[in-house]
Amino acid sequence: MKKINVLKPVLVSNKQRAQENRKIFDNMGSLVINIIASPGAGKTSVIEKIARYFKKTLNLLIIEGDIRGQVDSKRLAKLGVDVVQINTLTACHLDAFMTAQVLPQIKKKYDLILVENVGNLVCPAEFEIGEDYKLAILSTPEGDDKPLKYPLLFHLARVVIINKSDLLPFVDFSNETAKNNIRRENSKAKIFEVSAKTGDGFDDLYLFLEKELNEKKKKGKNKG
Amino acid sequence: MHEFSITKALVDLCNAEAEKNKLSKIYKIHLKVGKFTGFSPDSISFYFEHLKTDTKCQDADIIFDEVPIRIKCTSCGNENTIEEPILVCPDCGKMSIEVITGREFFVASIEGD
Repeated sequence: MKKINVLKPVLVSNKQRAQENRKIFDNMGSLVINIIASPGAGKTSVIEKIARYFKKTLNLLIIEGDIRGQVDSKRLAKLGVDVVQINTLTACHLDAFMTAQVLPQIKKKYDLILVENVGNLVCPAEFEIGEDYKLAILSTPEGDDKPLKYPLLFHLARVVIINKSDLLPFVDFSNETAKNNIRRENSKAKIFEVSAKTGDGFDDLYLFLEKELNEKKKKGKNKG
Repeated sequence: MHEFSITKALVDLCNAEAEKNKLSKIYKIHLKVGKFTGFSPDSISFYFEHLKTDTKCQDADIIFDEVPIRIKCTSCGNENTIEEPILVCPDCGKMSIEVITGREFFVASIEGD
């Protein structure tokens, strides 16, 4: 019997494909955000707000990941922004290969690409797709303990949005506890408290994204 | 559920490595799994039993080597091994933590003929 040292990550091919995707996105100068949350946390509603705010000033693409159907992509297309749908059929997350499959449908240079991952706090965290970073959404009815129960996503997310702040009077959720729990997984996470229903808290998020978009553009220029 | 995809990736990787090293059969797969990953050895084993059929892994077992979560506090400099991934320094209570180990998920080696 022979022993072969392999020393390769199991997800090595996903990682390599993600790096190729990233290179393609970088060359287009696109800021790519991988949005991850549980079903019903408000991913689509948050994306709608961001799309409405930015659609007049920049080229925006939404990549919509769902197990089945086009419910969200139809909803988002009504805003007059470009939407590409990925149906994962059985998979509970997007991966780099599924993302690569829709690249030929991307015909122009987008400034911002928002990727709505499959609703799930577990699996999407482990699969890179070629994004600049992950953005996690936690909604107040889910409870302020979720960062501790799904630590990996909150550890890896650069940005965490606490959504549905308008429901705070009706649910058992403390912003302070939630933030502390997020910090216990990720002391550097940028945290925003918003309500996609009322629009509260979005101004700070827009300012942050504007800065990020400028940074990404500068990087692209320095490269070119 | 994502263990299906990753077990498929595991079988593909092992088959490719066997091919490259001219092994026709794999008997053992040594897999390092960090405790700060989303991967559960039980589910991997479950899917593996199905996915290994008719491949070079058909007669293989996975030997799991779990890697503990080891952290370093960038504030007091101490290193600690923790059971749960709560990234707070057990010594000084600060949250400026670097994860040293626990995120591994790789095939260390395969054995076969």
